[in-house]
Amino acid sequence: MPIERYIFLAIALFCIGIAGVLIRRNAIIVFMCIELMLNAVNLLLVAFSKMHHLKATAANATAGIEGQLFVFFIMVVAAAEVSVGLAIIVMMYRNVHSVDINFLNRLKH
Amino acid sequence: MTLIWIIAIFFAGGLLCWAAQFVNRVLIKWIALIAAVANLALVGAAYAEYRNGSAPGDWLIDYTVNWIPSFAIKFHIALDGLSLVLLLLTAFLGVLAVLCSWKEIKERVGFYYFNLLWTLAGITGVFVAMDLFLFYFFWEVMIVPMYFLIAIWGDSNRRYASYKFFIFTQAGGLLMLVSILALFFINHANTGNYTFDFFELQNITLSVAEGRWIMLGFLVAFVIKLPAVPFHSWLPDAHSEAPTAGSLILAGLLLKTGAYGIMRFVITLFPQNSAEIAQWAMLVGVIGIIYGAMLAFAQNDLKRFIAYTSVSHMGFILLGVYSFREMAFDGVVMQMLTHGISTGALFAMAGMIKERLHTREMGNMGGLWTGMPLMGGLALLFAMASLGLPMMGNFIAEFLILVGAYEVNPTLTIIASIGLVFAALYSLRMMQRVFFGPRTTPDRHPEPFLRQGELREGSAHSASAVYDLSAREFTILISLSVAIVILGLFPQPVLDSVNTVVQSLIQKNTP
Amino acid sequence: MSNEQLLALLPFMVLAGASIVVILMIAARLSHTAIQVAGFLMLCFTVLAMGYVRDILPQEILPLFIIDGFAALYTGVIIFSVGVVGLLSYIYFEEREENPKEYYILLFLATLGAAVLTISRHFVSLFLGLEILSVSLYALIAYLRNRNNAIESGLKYLILAALTSAFLLLGMALFYMETGSMEFNAIGQKLAGSDPGVLFKLGLALMVVAIGFKLALVPFHLWAADVYQGAPAPVTAFIATASKVGVFAVLMRFSLAVNLQQSEFLLNVFSGIAIASMILGNILALRQQNIKRLLAYSSIAHLGYLIVAFLPGTREGIEASVFYLFAYAITILSAFGIVTILSTRMKDAEDLSVYRGLFWRKPLLAAVLAVSLFSLAGIPLTAGFFAKFIVLLTGANYNLWLPVIVLVLTSVIGLYYYLRIISTLFASAPAAEPRHKPLHPFFHFVTYATLFVLMVMICVLGVFPGPAIEGIRQFLMIR
Repeated sequence: MPIERYIFLAIALFCIGIAGVLIRRNAIIVFMCIELMLNAVNLLLVAFSKMHHLKATAANATAGIEGQLFVFFIMVVAAAEVSVGLAIIVMMYRNVHSVDINFLNRLKH
Repeated sequence: MTLIWIIAIFFAGGLLCWAAQFVNRVLIKWIALIAAVANLALVGAAYAEYRNGSAPGDWLIDYTVNWIPSFAIKFHIALDGLSLVLLLLTAFLGVLAVLCSWKEIKERVGFYYFNLLWTLAGITGVFVAMDLFLFYFFWEVMIVPMYFLIAIWGDSNRRYASYKFFIFTQAGGLLMLVSILALFFINHANTGNYTFDFFELQNITLSVAEGRWIMLGFLVAFVIKLPAVPFHSWLPDAHSEAPTAGSLILAGLLLKTGAYGIMRFVITLFPQNSAEIAQWAMLVGVIGIIYGAMLAFAQNDLKRFIAYTSVSHMGFILLGVYSFREMAFDGVVMQMLTHGISTGALFAMAGMIKERLHTREMGNMGGLWTGMPLMGGLALLFAMASLGLPMMGNFIAEFLILVGAYEVNPTLTIIASIGLVFAALYSLRMMQRVFFGPRTTPDRHPEPFLRQGELREGSAHSASAVYDLSAREFTILISLSVAIVILGLFPQPVLDSVNTVVQSLIQKNTP
Repeated sequence: MSNEQLLALLPFMVLAGASIVVILMIAARLSHTAIQVAGFLMLCFTVLAMGYVRDILPQEILPLFIIDGFAALYTGVIIFSVGVVGLLSYIYFEEREENPKEYYILLFLATLGAAVLTISRHFVSLFLGLEILSVSLYALIAYLRNRNNAIESGLKYLILAALTSAFLLLGMALFYMETGSMEFNAIGQKLAGSDPGVLFKLGLALMVVAIGFKLALVPFHLWAADVYQGAPAPVTAFIATASKVGVFAVLMRFSLAVNLQQSEFLLNVFSGIAIASMILGNILALRQQNIKRLLAYSSIAHLGYLIVAFLPGTREGIEASVFYLFAYAITILSAFGIVTILSTRMKDAEDLSVYRGLFWRKPLLAAVLAVSLFSLAGIPLTAGFFAKFIVLLTGANYNLWLPVIVLVLTSVIGLYYYLRIISTLFASAPAAEPRHKPLHPFFHFVTYATLFVLMVMICVLGVFPGPAIEGIRQFLMIR
């Protein structure tokens, strides 16, 4: 499959994620959308990794390995981010009994 | 070394005053007074030693030490005739400023004298700094304490006045900083040498366009300080709200730094570009003379009135400097000194009246002569000085400027001399309203303003709100009047001191 | 990995060890005081370790890290800021949370993240450092969980930061596609001379957005005021100093590696961002009544000034930026130190009315605040003036006249709101409120002493910046 298709797919997923963050008001769904964006990037990185591997000479067996390695780091970090995020959402629920981010407007402008 | 001592004494005296607040409140005033008097003595000694000025291109004192070598910034101070006479004025008015505040300031005394002395230190530094960076540094050092003087010990509208003062002068100062940087890099591009040193930068060659912009940066800073007409609006507010000593220093010294800057830096560094704008600058000066006089005529507030007369008198400085004539330069130097003294005296008097009547409104005064003939007489003297009566220093100054400028631009000079007529009008009107006419003030002022002890000053007359000068006040005013008369009768020593400076300015600015 | 390379990482390992030590101490149920002291000692050890390894620098640890003088300087500023933040935190949290101990774990983790940023030369280490920093910050901002403000600002920061992390990652992925590498230097070599495609430019734009967000530059500054206001005062101080220093360091290193400043277009973009930040930051600050929000907007403006030093992309620029950040850190730390000390159990001292007449009630605190505000405004005799002067010098040297003039003019606008606070400090005081006895006299004393030392540092740096600049130059030689 040509690389463009991966790019299209990933960008489409990424844009869906952005749209979700902008439109949805539920904090948990906003979070899921961010996860979606991160995974879109993961997909892209794996695809590029493969692409660079194929382009490289046979002598360079580890060419393009960085991309795939990076994916693991991203997954770990995303998990950490979500765990902290969910904790904050739980606190928010305790305080205002809602997870609607429209409630977040007490700070004056 | 003398110069360093002078600056150090002011700085250290300020710190001591602040520290003394925690020990003894009376001590504070004496520390301040001793510091100021010591400096007057030092400057006086320096004057006695160097009074005949220097050989052309030579400096009386020249002291350099590295300050921040990473940026080629040096602590370079030097003294020539011009700086010398201005230092004399600074030290003299410094002593009087301390004396003026003796009874007026009752709160936070230590911090007050700290600010007062640091302002004086900054002014002294400005007059002797020969490294452009150092100059900017001192330029700011004199502004910040002045801001505090106005903002803390000022009158009712002090907050607004202090903001306005600070932001106006700071804006000018920053533009000057940019110009200094531009000079720094252009000099480096020309000579491969990084320096802020004024002596070296004097020889810089600039293209006309570069020079124009860089000069504008300097000029804006100085004409704001001077102040010339479109930039004068901070002055009445700052002067009228400041405490007496603050007004005295503002009018007597801070305005002079603007004039000094123009003479020392603008026309020396940019002779060609200065010649370009000379006509316009003279025009601005004349507008200032007339406009300031007209506004002064319309004031009801005594301190605002004096402030606008300053605007008018400072117009003469622009007129004189930009005519590039020897006589006019001499006149400008004289004007700086005499205006400092006469306006300082008027402000001191306004402060004294305010201490008694708790008002600056001329409408509430009137007939004060009967209550305080001594002050009335001295006020008349300074009003006459301000209107340019012969025998007073101001007459010499303005006469020299007008004669010098007449050669260059007769029309403007004639208009400017109308300013003298106005000066007579507004000065006499002020005298009329404050000291003559029916007495409008009651003997006893409405109670709430007066506290016990404030009245003790007037000794025998303590029952009355209007009482004549105390010994301290008399000393202040009489020393000022002696100074102004001496300058009027024997201006020659001053002219001798600045002769070489003026000669070199003429040399630079004669095409 | 050779021994020397391992040794060069020592300061960072000590820093990582600090959070573990704190965890162990909490497990052993040691007191808040003990943890505070231990944390401070660990920071001192970090500094000592840096001094110890100085001679073997620079060390390159392929492919992720490079430890050189540049990194040491920025790390030094970060450690310094965290040390002060740590000292300030004791009183603040002792009065509030029944359980202030975990705070220190998060604080040291965040520090580690910021420090890792300064040594990273690879996308992976950049991303890891940034995320360690941000994830700790999410929790730190929302640490006072009983306050609505804290949670609101925590969640706001969380969502926006996570979003920009995703942007950053997409940008990195697109870089990776174009160059096949994630190392800064390799990317720079690949890019030299080639004409990158449209996707690459998109990636670049996304990265600019992400960095701009972390540094709170206009137009990505929207979070700053809310987060500054909602976070506990010491955390705000941390965000304003350490986190920005780290991000700026990595931005600098990356742009030097890829010769970002060579591109006319990017240069214009960054000067546009700088100018917008200076103007908007100062203007938005004008009307603020809340001092934390005011400082937030002023920090936007200050980062704008800093970007002016970034624009030339030369050694002078680095020098200027380090000095600027150091001066800025001292200044803003003393400002937030005052906010911290004046905060009461219920509420941070953020309203301007709290400061009315402070000079007559608590002269030392007011003097510290006044000096730091003068420094922020760039008035001579303070470090802030010199920092601004060096930035101006650098900008003027490279003919960046437009940003330089904007810097000067916006500084004048800035004066207005700094003066407003200062004149509030000196206004006549309201009736004195009842004094409550300090709970911990020793730590009160330490905090006061710290603030006093900071004030003296501001003044000394303002009058004799020479030695500091020489020191910075020497460190920058290590490369």
